[in-house]
Amino acid sequence: MAEVHVVGQITGASGFPDSSLLCKWLLQLGGGWRLVEGLAEGQTQADRSEVGEEIVWCHPLDIHLSTRGIQGWPRLLLQVYRQDALSRVDVCGYGIIHIPTHPGHHTLHCHTWRPVGTFSEEFRRAFLGGGPQLLSTEFIHSSLERYRLSTIASGTVHLDIGVILREFDKYGIAT
Amino acid sequence: MSVSSPSVFLLSVSGQVEAGRFMGGDNLHFNYCFTAGQDWEVVSGLEECVSQTACCSDDERQLFVWNFPIDITYKSTNPFGWPQIILSVYGTDFFGNIVIVGYAACHVPLTPGTHTRRLKTFVPESASTIQKLMSWLTGRRPEFLNPKIIAQGRGREVTRVRSHGEITITFNVMMKDFAKLGYDCGAPSKVPYLGAPPPPQTVTVPREGQSDA
Repeated sequence: MAEVHVVGQITGASGFPDSSLLCKWLLQLGGGWRLVEGLAEGQTQADRSEVGEEIVWCHPLDIHLSTRGIQGWPRLLLQVYRQDALSRVDVCGYGIIHIPTHPGHHTLHCHTWRPVGTFSEEFRRAFLGGGPQLLSTEFIHSSLERYRLSTIASGTVHLDIGVILREFDKYGIAT
Repeated sequence: MSVSSPSVFLLSVSGQVEAGRFMGGDNLHFNYCFTAGQDWEVVSGLEECVSQTACCSDDERQLFVWNFPIDITYKSTNPFGWPQIILSVYGTDFFGNIVIVGYAACHVPLTPGTHTRRLKTFVPESASTIQKLMSWLTGRRPEFLNPKIIAQGRGREVTRVRSHGEITITFNVMMKDFAKLGYDCGAPSKVPYLGAPPPPQTVTVPREGQSDA
């Protein structure tokens, strides 16, 4: 069994039009993968920064995985939520990013998007909050159902991720 | 002489907390602490330390320079629970109370070599308006009872923070026997993997009349 360690941080985000943001994350694994130690999902703190400044989440990731094959390489599902002055929370970005397959340190940037509604829905969203959101996270990671969505760009989530591999070369797998 | 295969690896971290940039607040000091998982054990060095008090520089850089050395060596069998450094920066407010100015955390870099990290700092915020008013009146701002919570993934969703300021750290990372345990951290290893055949020795002799360039 080859092993993968993912050690790093969801450092923060930038480019979002809102100033108080939090992020929910979920690690998605293929069939042959098993979580040995660590958390596979979580939620970051809610950070308020000046508009235009970078959001700081400083959320640690430390995941130990073992695998029987290389299919279904782990990936992170990210859902960014905004918090308004009345502490209401609604979605402002979805993203998915693969864990790098090369060992070492990587600085990753995940561009996010959100579903865009009709003119009246967007008008309501601008003043009252809310707006369309996905009913299932399947739309984020499945490439089959995406064609039915119309989306608009949101901000970028920044991650600092280090990858340690064990015994991949023993099975003749080049990464 | 037989070479026994190692069961632990060593991680040695040296470096310094170089400088910070914070708007407002003066006379800043920080304390750092390292935290690591259950399998990790400190071989030498200090896990916790408090720095000197630094004033803001007079020039246009507006820097707080600490130039504070860190040096610690860990021993472990498992990379899970990789060490993290947590910095808590404190300053004095208008009335002379010591208040929190920023928290920051990051993992020790995973690859050997010299690494510079620029960390953004944040402070927790009061949950309600009344608490905000009380903290303004009493001069006691919200802070974490145990700063090690920021190195944990669990229980973070209840905290609300406000971010400002940044701090720069330089790490020098050395590892022993990491590749021998079968781990690959992306570093060009000079020691071949145990059991691997030695690399072929090829010697190229430049012909006469040909230059290397």
